[in-house]
Amino acid sequence: MFLKVIQLGWKNVWRNPMRSAVVIIAVLLGTWAGIFLSGFFAGMAQGYLNNQFKLTVGHIEIVHPQFKDLYSPEYYIPNSDDVIRELSQLSYVQNISTESVTTGLAQSAHSNYGVTMHGIHADSNNAIADYIKEGTMPGQSDKRNPVLIGQKLAERLDIEIGSRMVLSFQDKNGEITGGAFRVAGIFDSFSDPYDEGNVFIGLENMNELLGLTNQVHNIQLELADFSQASQYASQLQNEYPNLQIQTWGKIAPELQYMYDMTDLMMYIVMVIIIIALIFSIINTMLMAVLERTRELGMLRAVGMNKPRVFSMIVSETLFLTMVGAPVGMLLSWITISYFGNVGIDLSAFSAGLSAYGFGTVIYPSLPNIYYLNITLMIAAAALLSALYPAWKSLQLNPVEAIRKFN
Amino acid sequence: MAVIETTGLTKVYNADQVPVHALRGVDLTIEKGEFTAVVGPSGSGKTTLLNIISGLDEPTEGRTIVQGTDLSTLSDRQLIDFRLHHIGFVFQAYNLIPVLTAIENVAFVMQMQGRPQKECNETSRALLEEVGLADKINKRPSELSGGQQQRVAVARALSSKPDFVLADEPTANLDSVSSGELLDMMLELNEKEDMTFVFSTHDQRVIDRARRVVTLVDGKIDKDELRE
Ligand SMILES: Nc1ncnc2c1ncn2[C@@H]1O[C@H](COP(=O)(O)OP(=O)(O)OP(=O)(O)O)[C@@H](O)[C@H]1O
Ligand SMILES: [Mg+2]
Repeated sequence: MFLKVIQLGWKNVWRNPMRSAVVIIAVLLGTWAGIFLSGFFAGMAQGYLNNQFKLTVGHIEIVHPQFKDLYSPEYYIPNSDDVIRELSQLSYVQNISTESVTTGLAQSAHSNYGVTMHGIHADSNNAIADYIKEGTMPGQSDKRNPVLIGQKLAERLDIEIGSRMVLSFQDKNGEITGGAFRVAGIFDSFSDPYDEGNVFIGLENMNELLGLTNQVHNIQLELADFSQASQYASQLQNEYPNLQIQTWGKIAPELQYMYDMTDLMMYIVMVIIIIALIFSIINTMLMAVLERTRELGMLRAVGMNKPRVFSMIVSETLFLTMVGAPVGMLLSWITISYFGNVGIDLSAFSAGLSAYGFGTVIYPSLPNIYYLNITLMIAAAALLSALYPAWKSLQLNPVEAIRKFN
Repeated sequence: MAVIETTGLTKVYNADQVPVHALRGVDLTIEKGEFTAVVGPSGSGKTTLLNIISGLDEPTEGRTIVQGTDLSTLSDRQLIDFRLHHIGFVFQAYNLIPVLTAIENVAFVMQMQGRPQKECNETSRALLEEVGLADKINKRPSELSGGQQQRVAVARALSSKPDFVLADEPTANLDSVSSGELLDMMLELNEKEDMTFVFSTHDQRVIDRARRVVTLVDGKIDKDELRE
């Protein structure tokens, strides 16, 4: 019998097919746009984070506790070989990259610029390899003293592959040192400032000049799940109390902030869309109730009680929502999956984006938990927008409604 | 026991502004099987009286007893249930749910009563046959003429097995042929099933067919004639 009331609700949805279709499509598009936009922003933010993780921070970074103060070469990681071997045993560590680091000056015949110098192993799987535009990594070059520099720096110093340049910096004792290098490769990453301010040379090359042997200053860990970084970092900190172990969020609070903000942004976008949907649903249902005053009066007169009338109107609203929302969700899941693979190429705007460190291709992505949360939000919104028209339908007085018959 | 018994019914609308005395003391007793027309000039209180008898509206004073139940003792909720089980309604228009077929409309009240689906279907089909719409059971109201719609409404009113059927101007929107047919059908049900009908009307031809004619003037019973 309750089923009959709900069946009647379903049939009522189709008494004005055009109007219902408009609402259903609005819900569908709203759901789709909301979720897809969320996925787009999330993918954009995630892409940005991944870029930053790859080149600048890593998920967890291990340094000598005093290294970060002045980047003095003397503060290398003691027994780094042992530490690296132990770390590579850990199941949650996916990749380890190491380097010795210092800051100094890059000079060409034409100009000079302050840079960060990275000494990397010949067999290192450093992420910069992915961004090489011309030439090779320093480890693969047959030149003496090869260096890999960014496109921006090459322009600034007005040099190209094969050109000579001089890098000067302080060694571990604070003495000025340096050497002549030959450009073996040029990289072009997602970020112009990074390309301008970073150069890569062989670890042996660098350590020789710094007065070190095979020590490194910096170990970066890539985890299977970056959001777990703080938990693992504190575990590691207990095991290596003499090293400074920090998560990406600590090292780059702006990234943590961005990560938190995208979450919030996505929900704000969803809430705005849902509020718009609530209003359009309420508006439609109020119309549907008001134009049926006489019929509702008749139903109440012949013995349909208030809970049943209420349920009927609620079910009508829920049907309106529940057709569009799942289809919209499915559509957004399909489009996010598709573009998550193919990517959305924004190269038309890429000049602007890469100045801020964003990639030129956005891969939308949305963790499953968001689909669940959005489902719950839409269900709550549907219920909310169902209650008011249903309540309104109970306010009518059957006697008044029936008098309008005549 | 009388099916309907009212004593001293009065109804005053807008008591606090300009009061309208719609009923001024109506004592009316209707026995089982009667076929009663309530007539009178416009504004004489016919609709008000029928609404009070059916428990849709409350009298200002007086009592209505339906099959031994004093309606004033029932809560709103009990009144709805009482109407569902004891009273069949036929209105002037808008009787039917437009999205349901004829048979679904007839079955709807029975479904609200919680009767088994099988009984609902069989009874509804039989009733539609009885009112001469055997070939229209799957038509929507919009596919039926006004007279056919009113017949579906009568079938619906009977489906709940009520104590009596109340009809406020059931023929007002019909042409004279359809009015005549509807009245024939109601009379037939009255005779065959001994169903009690109380209806209001302005139509002299309808009045002529009634067995009992109660005339209201200014909210009072002016005449109460039995005919044969
Ligand atoms: N809700 C109301 N508020 C105020 N006055 C009302 C209300 N309902 C009815 N009336 C008045 O009560 C009186 C009786 O009305 P009622 O509808 O019962 O008459 P009726 O005999 O059914 O008339 P008709 O033949 O036109 O249907 C009329 O004067 C009417 O204007
Ligand atoms: Mg009337």
